[in-house]
Amino acid sequence: MNLSRRMLTKEEEDAVGDEIEVRREDQDKINKFSRLHSHVLTLEEELQAKNKEKEELDDITTELELADEDELVPYKIGDAFFHVPLERAQELLGVSAAKVEQEIEELEDKMGTIREEMAGLKIDLYARFGKTINLET
Amino acid sequence: MSNIQARLQALSEDYTKLQKDLQDTVTSRQKLEAQKQENLGVQQEFEKLKDSETIYKLIGPVLLKQDRTDAESTVKGRLEFIDKEISRLEGHIKEVQEKMEKKKGEIIQIQTSAQAQGAGAGPQAVKARA
Repeated sequence: MNLSRRMLTKEEEDAVGDEIEVRREDQDKINKFSRLHSHVLTLEEELQAKNKEKEELDDITTELELADEDELVPYKIGDAFFHVPLERAQELLGVSAAKVEQEIEELEDKMGTIREEMAGLKIDLYARFGKTINLET
Repeated sequence: MSNIQARLQALSEDYTKLQKDLQDTVTSRQKLEAQKQENLGVQQEFEKLKDSETIYKLIGPVLLKQDRTDAESTVKGRLEFIDKEISRLEGHIKEVQEKMEKKKGEIIQIQTSAQAQGAGAGPQAVKARA
């Protein structure tokens, strides 16, 4: 947490003078900022989970490279395990890995867009309210 | 007077921080306990296994065969690590609890001395007027 932009001291509060009116559009922007921030936090959690998935897929892909080609690999699809040949398992892993990578990219893009929007709102709100508002996350 | 208020404010912020530290540590400790139980369960299952039976590990969507000795030593190592972490956290919890008691003491001290000052100022003011 950025403590330098915390609550005002008594002196600072006096220095501000008259309060700036919070117009409807200002409140809307504040609410939007808050909503976007919540959304970003949710997306971050999802991203973390996806990254963990990707890591596991990479691990098992590497492990299978050393596996015996004559042995069948138990591959989980849904709630069942299918005993498939090594090559098939590697194929399936490849498909999953590509899918997760895609999902990660989309998540990161979405998060980037939201963060940009938040930055824009910050500029507007700090311009209007200066020290009397704290938007540090 | 406002100096005392500032001091009280600072102390009460410190206390709140300590509370959060305590809460976070307790939560971590609970998580470790759950992990410990899980690993103990796995260990018990291993002990029941016949030599002919195979152990598999689920990595992603694949069940990978595990060497029995490797699997057993991995679980043993994990349990040792968890036990160490649990002791460390319990030590930290005690530390934080002690710090919190001290802070509480400091806060009460300041509050009582502030009241005493307030009470002391009264009679003196009356004296000056008379």
